Amino acid sequence: MLAIEGYNPRAGFFDELFEAGGVPRPAADALIEELKRLGPDGMREAGRRRDALFMQQGITFETSGESGPTHERPFPLDLIPRVLTGDEWRAIKRGLAQRIRALNAFVDDVYHAREIVREGIVPWRLVASCPHFARAVHGIRPPGGVYTHVAGCDLVRHSDGTWNVIEDNVRIPSGISYMLENRAAMARLVPELFASYRVRRVDHYPQLLLGALRAVAPSAESEATVVVWTPGPVNSAYFEHAFLARQMGVELVEASDLVVRDDVLYMRTTRGLERVHAVYRRLDDDFVDPLEFDPHSLLGVPGLVRAYRAGSVAIANALGTGVADDKAIYRFVPDMIRFYLAEEPILDNVRTYLLGDPEVCAHVLERLDRLVVKPTGGSGGSGVTIGPQASEEELARLKQLICANPERWIAQDIVRLSTMPTVGPEGELRPCHVDLRPFAVFGERIDIVPGGLTRVALQDGSMIVNSSRGGGSKDTWVLEEGDDADRAGPPIADTLPPALPDLRYGEWTGQQQQQQQQQQQHLAPLR
Amino acid sequence: MLSRIAHELYWVGRNVARAEFTARAVEAVFAAELQGTAEAMPSVSFGSRGLLAMLGHLDHEQPPYGPGALSRLTLDADSPGSMLASFDRAREGARTVRDVISAEMWEAINTTTLSLHEDGQIGWASPATPHLASQYVKQRTALIWGIANRSMLRDEAKCFLDAGGLIEIADMVLRMLRIALSPSDGLPADGHALILLQAVGGFHAYLRAVTSPPQADPVARFLIFERAYPDSVAACVDSLHEAFTAADAGPRNSKPVLRVSRLAADLDFQRRALPDGAELTGICEETQRELARIDQDAAERYFAGAAPAMAGV
Amino acid sequence: MHFAIRYLTRYAYDAPVSDNLNALRVRPATTASQRCDEFHTRIDPEARVSRYLDYFGTEVLEFGIPASHERLEIDVRARVVTTDPATPPSGPWDSLTTSSYLDAAGEFLLPWQDQPAVEGLESLQAELGSSSPLETLVQLCEMIPERFEYRPGVTYVGSNVAHLLELGAGVCQDFVHLGLILLRRMGIAARYVSGYLWAAPQDGGGDSVEVDTHAWLEALLPGTDGDGEPVWVGADPTNRKLADGTLVKIGHGRHYFDVPPVKGLYMGGATSHLDASVTMSRLDPQASAKA
Repeated sequence: MLAIEGYNPRAGFFDELFEAGGVPRPAADALIEELKRLGPDGMREAGRRRDALFMQQGITFETSGESGPTHERPFPLDLIPRVLTGDEWRAIKRGLAQRIRALNAFVDDVYHAREIVREGIVPWRLVASCPHFARAVHGIRPPGGVYTHVAGCDLVRHSDGTWNVIEDNVRIPSGISYMLENRAAMARLVPELFASYRVRRVDHYPQLLLGALRAVAPSAESEATVVVWTPGPVNSAYFEHAFLARQMGVELVEASDLVVRDDVLYMRTTRGLERVHAVYRRLDDDFVDPLEFDPHSLLGVPGLVRAYRAGSVAIANALGTGVADDKAIYRFVPDMIRFYLAEEPILDNVRTYLLGDPEVCAHVLERLDRLVVKPTGGSGGSGVTIGPQASEEELARLKQLICANPERWIAQDIVRLSTMPTVGPEGELRPCHVDLRPFAVFGERIDIVPGGLTRVALQDGSMIVNSSRGGGSKDTWVLEEGDDADRAGPPIADTLPPALPDLRYGEWTGQQQQQQQQQQQHLAPLR
Repeated sequence: MLSRIAHELYWVGRNVARAEFTARAVEAVFAAELQGTAEAMPSVSFGSRGLLAMLGHLDHEQPPYGPGALSRLTLDADSPGSMLASFDRAREGARTVRDVISAEMWEAINTTTLSLHEDGQIGWASPATPHLASQYVKQRTALIWGIANRSMLRDEAKCFLDAGGLIEIADMVLRMLRIALSPSDGLPADGHALILLQAVGGFHAYLRAVTSPPQADPVARFLIFERAYPDSVAACVDSLHEAFTAADAGPRNSKPVLRVSRLAADLDFQRRALPDGAELTGICEETQRELARIDQDAAERYFAGAAPAMAGV
Repeated sequence: MHFAIRYLTRYAYDAPVSDNLNALRVRPATTASQRCDEFHTRIDPEARVSRYLDYFGTEVLEFGIPASHERLEIDVRARVVTTDPATPPSGPWDSLTTSSYLDAAGEFLLPWQDQPAVEGLESLQAELGSSSPLETLVQLCEMIPERFEYRPGVTYVGSNVAHLLELGAGVCQDFVHLGLILLRRMGIAARYVSGYLWAAPQDGGGDSVEVDTHAWLEALLPGTDGDGEPVWVGADPTNRKLADGTLVKIGHGRHYFDVPPVKGLYMGGATSHLDASVTMSRLDPQASAKA
């Protein structure tokens, strides 16, 4: 039974829609009203239509059960949106832009002058031991000096309402297609919820991305040719790759479509080789160029790094950006902001311990049950252990792993992720934990689409929001100031086209003129 | 064939095309207006107010948004520009020419109209969203054109049915552009013209054909001049020329054929001669006037003068 | 010592191939104890060669042959003058933890191939306890060839240390990798060196010999008095000696994969047959061979 009145925010956590005491936050007031009006039947019905719509459109995710084969299910979009006010968003946006600028400067520095190392801020040993530190691109400065063209930083909100960045993703962050499809689906399934809001649009993202890729593409004379490079249909994010290629109107290529000749990248087309100026690649460095990266891999495009080094092609994100989203390097991002930008960080980190330091490590090992432990190289929530939820055995095993190689682990304070009402399997509302991944595009400037992907941990009490581990998502609304009258769209010009013609025989002509006179009372005179 | 029959077929084509265009446009405009404007991307001046105006429903007594406006465009049978009203007229026409069109074609038009009337039971037009109704109309019109192509003899009857559909699409696209491109209240009519493409259903075709971002100028050019895109004005005019030529007893000295042929050549010339950023509203107006003259010529030559008065031209 | 080196590589393919892309790390470096005077490459079929210095400072020659071909010849010629390096410093163990040492050591101290733990490494390391890092390096160069047989063909390019320990035999590359791991475990920075070795003819008379590309290592040893600059000292665990003028260095890296002499890829399913030879000629035969 869906009953807003019966919804109890979890004590000790920040709820996105309700203040303590169960009063709706001002921005969520109208939404709650509308949810009540829709009622459990309305939501259930919308949920049914949502699943049908996603299956029909093929917006699915492959999940692997604890044991057993993977299976396809509709991407779990929860129909209750998150609402952020314009003010909240402005702060987040400024904080993210600042952070991404610093991360970009860091990548450039690491592969060139290493000033931050010489200043003693980031230890060289830590940089050099990053699995994603790419020696093959040392000294290469990509077109425009931009490395982190696409970034998705994961934000969490504490019980006191403040925002923290918990993870930076500057390699190949995914999820943007879900953000866009979520919005499109919400507009179709529950347009009622939008009734009292002016929600800022997100669907210009593909054009922003294309614009950024064109801006950094080294093509002097003609329009730059941009491609999206996918590992292929077996990749779990293939849907997103195809989605972005279609939305940008560019080719979706696989490695076998690309070839490097004389330090220039081409794609094989029915009309011969066609030069490619910018590649939005959706695969890891290791599989990009077998001549330069993983020596045992034959995947990729041999010679791509040569073309890249020659400056004839832009690669987004640049090769080697993984060094900036390493989980141990994360600890230094606030210092990077101070060092490169001479600014104070707007968004802070979650407190992080580097276990490479024996003293810190010893201290952490004592309180493993009260911390979150992550491997530095992993992504997508793999290998993460949440202390309070782990069994004794799990912790003991973890301890062994850490002791064997402390530098490859970090520990973090537990973040009390904020909650939101989420529709449960029986239509009931439960408080589930959420994070937020906004998406930024860095070309000539940094653009961040309003909102982002709100990921929600669907299992009761769980704080792991990754979709590969049972997480779902929500539409994220950033509100815009403005009144309801805007809804009619822009005012129209004085000159209007003539009234619609219709099948009329002679004797109806009189009526036609009469009708037209009526219309002319409403419309401004023609010409 | 009888002028009367040809005329009815021509209007069946026009009405089916009009319903389809309305369905696409309503959905695009509705979805766009549910949300705010995109950052740094001013909207082109096309919204539900513009859509209502171009379909002849701008009633200053009623707000140009919300459920009322929506139903005037979708399932309000009394509102002459609604999808349902267009289908009603198409059905009346199709009933008159039942013996000429195939049985399947009649059934497709008939069931579509009846289903739209039965909305109360079927419930796809929730008062809040046109999505399901639009989806239904898009699918059904595609089906109707498909059946026409596969089941009707390539004869005069098919030519006039097609001609009606083609002139309607071209006219609708021009109407929309005239509204969208006119600068109003000093607002620049440039910016994110996605909605125009979505309203015609040409978004992906545009992305594959044009490299410029979808801003007003390249989008308008695409919708007017791109012959490879079937719903562009130029492509419609080309096909219209074919249809009239095939149907005409003496195309060499047929007024409508010659006029269409001249218009096709003019469009082709303008496509090549116009500099980037050239003003396009004038071309839209002129082309639309020319289409109205073609409509008039066709009526005189084929439909025994049963010409509709193209108001305000 | 003064050498002329010719490094000739011939590939024959049993069917036509195309888009043959190669990266060569074959040019003798110019260092404190070595100077490369002349260097030429010839590629057949003809190809435009581009060069750049990689992360570790090794010169890389790159070329690609897009058109279809059935054979490829890479002919490299160089003239090098070498001198014996200065006497290596024998600084104490405790200098290894000073910040100046750690800064100089950088990533050459990072563990490598240590996961999962390799059986037998512990006991080998235990045999190496010595009075100074230098002593240990010398000891290492004795121990490895003593414990492991030099036997070409038993290991392959991608072999790891576990293979060597299991087989009890390997080639210079495997010996060096083992040496690197052991040194780093003891806190001594160590790096892999690729190059050419002048092996004096047995009769002592000839001044031109067929050799092979060779690998040895360099260890970073602290300055003698404990606070001098640490110095990279070459050592050849295959030939039980510290580096001297008979070794011609191309470049170094963390391991083999950072400095492979030839690395290439081509399109087409054809099998390639490799015929590679390095010929070294002594241009100053009057000097006595030290090997």
